[in-house]
Amino acid sequence: MRRRALPLTALVLPLALPFVLVTGGGARAADADAVARGGYIFQAAGCLGCHTNEKAGGAPLTGGRALATPFGTFFTPNITPDPVHGIGRWSDADFLRAFREGVRPDGAALFPAFPYASYTRMTDRDLLDLKAYLFAQKPQPVANRPHDLSPPFSWRFLVPGWQLLYMTAGPVADDPSKPAAWNRGRYLVDALGHCGECHTPRSLLGGLDQSRYLAGTPDGPDGDKVPNITPHPAKGLGKWSDSDLAMLLELGLKPDGDVAGGGMGEVVRNTTSKLTAEDRAAIVTYLRGVPPKE
Amino acid sequence: MNNRVVNALAAASLSALLVAGFGGMAGAADPADMVKERQQTMKKLGGGMGAVAKFVKNEGGTQEDAAKGAEAVLAVAKMDAKAVFPTGTAVGVGDSAAKPELWQNWSAAEEKWKAMQPAAMKLAEAIKGGDRAQIGQALGATSKTCGGCHEDFRVKKQ
Repeated sequence: MRRRALPLTALVLPLALPFVLVTGGGARAADADAVARGGYIFQAAGCLGCHTNEKAGGAPLTGGRALATPFGTFFTPNITPDPVHGIGRWSDADFLRAFREGVRPDGAALFPAFPYASYTRMTDRDLLDLKAYLFAQKPQPVANRPHDLSPPFSWRFLVPGWQLLYMTAGPVADDPSKPAAWNRGRYLVDALGHCGECHTPRSLLGGLDQSRYLAGTPDGPDGDKVPNITPHPAKGLGKWSDSDLAMLLELGLKPDGDVAGGGMGEVVRNTTSKLTAEDRAAIVTYLRGVPPKE
Repeated sequence: MNNRVVNALAAASLSALLVAGFGGMAGAADPADMVKERQQTMKKLGGGMGAVAKFVKNEGGTQEDAAKGAEAVLAVAKMDAKAVFPTGTAVGVGDSAAKPELWQNWSAAEEKWKAMQPAAMKLAEAIKGGDRAQIGQALGATSKTCGGCHEDFRVKKQ
C-alpha cells in the first residue's frame, strides 16, 4: 500500500513545495496532510530529543545537544529549515539520501551518531512526510557546533567503510507470514524508534552486534546501563505482561511502580507516549517475538 | 525577669536542644542510613503507584487497593523534599542513585518534588470516582512528575 502511494507523492511534493514557499504557507490539503502525517513520524522516530539542547534552553530542533560516545562527543545539528544553518536547502532527493545512505548533500558521509542504519528502513513516503513536517517548522539561524572527535574516528572518509560493515540500505519488506501488528511493530522498533541503537550492544567499531539484538548493554548512552528487552524470562522482559509493557510505553510506569528516568524517560516523553495505543500494542507484539537472549 | 523564670527558660531550651539533637541522631545521622531511608520512602511511593497501575491495567487490583496506593503516594508527596534528600546523600554514599546535580539545582528539584502533591491528590480523587480511564489519566500525570526528576537527577540503576 505504501509502495503504491510513493510515485504519486514523489511527483506531487517537488511541485507542491515551491508553491508553499511562494504563497508563504500551505493552503493545499495534500500538504497539510503530509505535514500532519510527518508530525507523527517525527514523534515515532524520536527526532526532537537529540536535535534539541533542552538542558541549555535551546530552541527545538536547533541541535547542539552533546552526545558523548567512546569515539568522542558529537554535537547534533540544526534541522530547522533555515537555509544557512539548517536543512532549508535540502531537496527531497538530498533528504532521502541522508536517511537511506547516510550521505550529506555535498556527498560526504554522515557520522552514524545520526542513526541512519535504522532510519534506512523507513519508507520513502514516511521520509517525505517527515521532511514536509520539518519544513513547516520555523527556520532558526542557529549555527552548528563542530563535533569533538579523536582520530581516527574524526576521519569522515572512513565512514563509508563502517557503512559497508554495519548497514544494509533500504526498507525491509513486510513478512507475509506474520500478522500486520507484528510487521508494524518491527517497523516501529527497527526503523522509526531505532530502539536497537541503545538496547543492542555495540562492537568496538560502534556497529550494532546483531547477535545480541535488543539484549541490553552496560555501556549505553551517557554511560548508562540499558536493559535487555528480549522476552528472556530472567534477564529480559519475560515476566512482564502485555499491559505492563504497554503501560511502560504509555506512562513510563514499571510493574513495581517505579517510573523510567534517564534515556527511556525521555523516549517515553517524546515518543512512545505520543503513539496511538494501536502502535504501542504493535511494539509489544513484535518484542514478544524476538529471540530471547540472556 | 526573675531568676526562676530564667532558669525555667534555660532548662526548657536545653531540653529542646537535647531532644532535637537526640531526635536527629535517633533518626538517621549516618548518611548511608539516610540513603536507605530514602529508598524505603521511594519503595512506598512505587508500591502505591504499582497498586493503582494494577487496577488500571485490570490485573486483579481492587479499587480499594488502588485507593490505599494513592494514599501512600500522597503521604510521600507531602513529605518535605529536604527530609527525603538531605545533603550529603548523593551517589557514592551507600548505594545512593541521586546525582549531585539534584542539590546543585535544588530549587528545580524541590519544585519537581512539590508537583507530585497536586497530582497525587487528583489521583486519589479519580479513584474515588471509579472511572478506569480517568484514573489512568491521573496516574499518567502523577508518573510524569516522578519521571521528570528521575530523568534529570537519578543515576541509572540495574
